[in-house]
Amino acid sequence: MKQLVLVVIFALILITSLVKNSTKEIEDQIFIVNENIRPLKSELEDVLLEFNYLSSPEKLVQHQTQYFEKDLIKIEIMNIKEIIENNETLEINDLIKKNSNE
Amino acid sequence: MNNKKNIILEEYENEFSYKKSKTNLDIQFNRIAFIFFVFLVISIIYSIQLLHLGSLKTEDSKKLLTVNKNHRADILDRNGNYLVKTVKSIDIGINPIEVIDKKKLLINLQLIFPDKNYADIIKKLEKNKFFYFEKKISTKNYEKIMLLGDKSIKSEEKLTRIYPQKNLFSHIIGQIDDDNKGISGLEKSFNEKLKQTSEPLKLTVDTDIQFLIREELVKFQSIFRSKGSTAILMNVNNGEIISMVSYPDFDLNKREKIVDLNFINRATKGVYELGSVFKTFTVAAGLEEGLINTDTEFLNLEKKLQCGKSSISEYDNKIPSDLTVEEILIRSGNIGSVRIGQKLEIIKLKAFLEKIGILSKINFDIEEVGEPIPFKWGKCKLATVSFGHGITTTPLQLAKAYAIISNGGFAVEPSLIKKELKNYQKKKRIIKAGISEKINPILRKIVTTKEGTAGFVNIEGYEVGGKTGTAEKSIAGGYTRKAKVNTFAGIFPTSNPKYVLIVLLDEPKTSSDYVYEYKNKKGSYKGTPFNTAGWTSVEVAGKIIEKIGPILATKHMEN
Repeated sequence: MKQLVLVVIFALILITSLVKNSTKEIEDQIFIVNENIRPLKSELEDVLLEFNYLSSPEKLVQHQTQYFEKDLIKIEIMNIKEIIENNETLEINDLIKKNSNE
Repeated sequence: MNNKKNIILEEYENEFSYKKSKTNLDIQFNRIAFIFFVFLVISIIYSIQLLHLGSLKTEDSKKLLTVNKNHRADILDRNGNYLVKTVKSIDIGINPIEVIDKKKLLINLQLIFPDKNYADIIKKLEKNKFFYFEKKISTKNYEKIMLLGDKSIKSEEKLTRIYPQKNLFSHIIGQIDDDNKGISGLEKSFNEKLKQTSEPLKLTVDTDIQFLIREELVKFQSIFRSKGSTAILMNVNNGEIISMVSYPDFDLNKREKIVDLNFINRATKGVYELGSVFKTFTVAAGLEEGLINTDTEFLNLEKKLQCGKSSISEYDNKIPSDLTVEEILIRSGNIGSVRIGQKLEIIKLKAFLEKIGILSKINFDIEEVGEPIPFKWGKCKLATVSFGHGITTTPLQLAKAYAIISNGGFAVEPSLIKKELKNYQKKKRIIKAGISEKINPILRKIVTTKEGTAGFVNIEGYEVGGKTGTAEKSIAGGYTRKAKVNTFAGIFPTSNPKYVLIVLLDEPKTSSDYVYEYKNKKGSYKGTPFNTAGWTSVEVAGKIIEKIGPILATKHMEN
């Protein structure tokens, strides 16, 4: 009985140290990955900021007047269609149905 | 005599006996097992400590953020576009006292920054006072300048807020001072949160829609030469503000000190008498109390009423003297509204206006909120309030009230901050069921019928309904006919309202050149015949809905 207790205790200590060792390796890897992500994240944020600025409505309108001859036109909502997938067939309907009551 | 001394040796009994010291600890197992047990206990304590430290990690990082003065979270719109981005910048300063070789330092600086005015720099160096050599320098130049290794060169990290949408959200976002402290808008009301959290603040506003609405306000500002204008687009069911524009506005990137009162946020801070848009509330209150129905008739209505020193009359003499409740609202009858108000009496009308949030200051996400001017209720006041005069509120509160009246009678709180779907509270009914179903068709008729005052907003496909309000501005002790506040409060689509749109023009003037395209009949009309909401703010609202409608209809705004 005494020997069994000793073996269990020893085994527990061994397993704990092994688990700790392996988690330490994973922690190191996580740290390295995080450190590598950090500059990429900051770069992504800067690129997004640039994208948001260049694709802002004001800039798009400015580019349109600079580079295109035709004006932007608004879409009449009555001309917008809705595609509905129905048993492998596509159904095209008006997005807004005409109200006959008015 | 023999004196004998007898020495008797007594046998000494040693009473000492070895005994094991008594202890409370009764070790039953052998020594090695005990040592292992102690090790086990120590290792368990150590492991618990490690786990505890691991769990503390996130809280610690939060604490670090609170300490970091150079942190301020970004702000995004509902689609994840940057409205504000924090960029760290470095300023370089020189402390002349610590300069060892001035000539050598100047030569080195000239190599890195050849375009600077060095005559000024030499003067500053001679003054022996710290000065900023270059602000917001690039990382490349920062590396070069620090490689000089001169002790007198000091670097200072600073926080810069970039606003890619420039003027578009100036009143909503607000400004910060040099110490990273918010001084207006969301920057002020969310100052601590922005400093502490690393997650960006997500708003309910949509950049594209905000741009299109602002564009129309700017365009009509020059046509109707108004002092300023504002527009609010809000979801009637959850109170999310999709757009809130107040014009004139300012470019946040310029960091100017705004002192001109004309730049106030008219949508939230502007307190106005809004006129006939209040008649909807009088009718709704009458329906709520069960005192009237939409077809209740009011016969022999006078053309003029005298109340104290002032008189109340119809704006249009063609209004018949016999009107139903529906006709009173469609034709915007003043006397008819007074009669409904008198049926309601002060207590009921006041309670209804309080319930829909008109009378008291609104609790909102930004601090620049106006407070409706308090007044003393009386017989004359009841009469004037019934048709929207002698009572003030803000356009934001007007939007909230129209949202409640049209959404089925459920409470909404206007908000600029996007919440998770699960965080939206369960709807709380504050107006009886069925009132919206009676009011919404009347608002639609104001737009579709020739008797209605808002025909120019009848854009095909959107089922717009709404009410106009033309009010003269109050001056000391009375009203002036020259300065008006023209308002349109609209909802769409009226069959199942989703949005409320408020358009307010502050002191507009008539235009002799503008060409109106009729919506309910063919043809056009040149020039503004009357300086009323129907000919000014309704036209602006129509143009706004034409532009933003396709985006609202196709984008999934519910999320």
